[in-house]
Amino acid sequence: MKPRNWLLLCYALLVAGLPLAGLGYALLGSVGLAGPLATGFTGRHWQALGADAGLLKSALFSFWIASVSLTLAVALALALVLGAQGTLRRRPFPTLLYVPLLMPSLVMGFYLFQLLSRAGWLSRLSFGLGLTHSVEGFPELVQDAAGVGIIGAHVLLLFPFLTLLFQAIYQESRLADYRQLAQTLGATPGQFRWRVAVPVLLRRAAPTLLLSGIATLGAYDIPLLLGRPYPQMLSVYIATRLQRFDLRELPAAYLAGFLVAVGLLGLILVLTRLTRRHAL
Amino acid sequence: MRSKLLTTLLALLFALPFVLLALLAVAPAWRFPAALPAAYSLGALRDLVAADNELLAGLGRSVLLASVVAVVATIAGFALARAITRAVRPGRWEALSYLPYALPPVLLAVLIQPFIIRLHLSGSVGGVLLGLLLIAVPFATLLLRSFWTQQAREYEQLARTLGCTARQALWQVLLPLAWPLLRTALFQTFLLAWFDFGLTNLLSVGKVRTLTVQVFTYVGEANAQLAAVASLLLLLPPTLLLWANKNALLRKTE
Repeated sequence: MKPRNWLLLCYALLVAGLPLAGLGYALLGSVGLAGPLATGFTGRHWQALGADAGLLKSALFSFWIASVSLTLAVALALALVLGAQGTLRRRPFPTLLYVPLLMPSLVMGFYLFQLLSRAGWLSRLSFGLGLTHSVEGFPELVQDAAGVGIIGAHVLLLFPFLTLLFQAIYQESRLADYRQLAQTLGATPGQFRWRVAVPVLLRRAAPTLLLSGIATLGAYDIPLLLGRPYPQMLSVYIATRLQRFDLRELPAAYLAGFLVAVGLLGLILVLTRLTRRHAL
Repeated sequence: MRSKLLTTLLALLFALPFVLLALLAVAPAWRFPAALPAAYSLGALRDLVAADNELLAGLGRSVLLASVVAVVATIAGFALARAITRAVRPGRWEALSYLPYALPPVLLAVLIQPFIIRLHLSGSVGGVLLGLLLIAVPFATLLLRSFWTQQAREYEQLARTLGCTARQALWQVLLPLAWPLLRTALFQTFLLAWFDFGLTNLLSVGKVRTLTVQVFTYVGEANAQLAAVASLLLLLPPTLLLWANKNALLRKTE
């Protein structure tokens, strides 16, 4: 075998062999055929899934967080690119937008906890200004039921990145020229934005938006710090079940891992086909 | 006027994390409802230089781990990108490279953990390294694929025709040509490993105490001061990278 083929074989084993073998192991673990307490084939963990709403709630909560975060971040980025084009081109804006990219998500989570929690900095300021009179008087913005803190953290991390991306597409697609052309032909600025610019930007950014959505769906660090114990986001839910001391919980954790992995792969496949079909 | 307002607003929004973290790092006891610390102390920062300081050890561990990941992933990515270009079906290999990104890092760690345990790598730097390389190598490969164009191959062939050995063609022609992209791959894979928490924490069972793991531990212990110091240390290399070269930090959109 040529050295090149050896190299590719090792690569295939690393990037596909290992995760797919893990997926197979998780499937076998979920039916009692693998794992430290494997007792032979059993379907009871799959049956128990019907009675346990934890995984479904985690999935729904994750979809909620991912869709709201992505929508808000896209809206903010589009507003900046389409509404403040001149400002975006001037210093210090291009460099300024890189700053949030320096922040690991764990640090963003810690920062927002210190800022938004009931004993956090905003709460202290509102207490100092006489707007609230106790810790309880400040609204619950982290570890809350709607995931406001988690959404805020993801929006803060995502929107500068998406602004840079949209701005690059705006320039590469020569949308400034199209704007002049559209105006010459009688289109209003609003018509140019909604009928020309937004479709071009969204279609060309679709693969990156898809990956950003999947990354938010599988987020771990931020919901671990800013989320509630119930419902948890998917990655936190699976990792928590896997790290419990009771080894009898392992098959259920493997089952959750298997289902989420297969679900995400399926989702990516469907969305990739959709974005390709509608790509420019 | 509107432009200045927007710039100021965003500058404040992006500067606030640094200000709040810096305040927390120098505030030994900052209790509700004080809006500013009652006393300031550089004790936590001074302790950093103590020989047995856990944070400093964590910083060293993170730098070492991220550097090894960056160097190995970039070298492997360069060779793999070349092999893929010359493969029978390069498109399939490229699609395969996206597989580790289809799954969140923590889920990937959950899936490979049984094998890490069987290889006796659980709780070790080796296990974490393998997990991080699983993400960093395909990333570098995909990034460096854009170097191996027809033109690069023609340069290589020309160098060989003019009498270069394969090694000379690599060192004197290909690597200088690829350097801007290699530098970006080095920076980005370094950051990928530097920022990681979930995969490292899960595969190391909390034993490989990198800076991100330490931030989480300090948050769990409600030690906001040390968590802030560790967070600021985490921000240091990316800030230096941004200062040195922002184009290397973020690949330009193709």
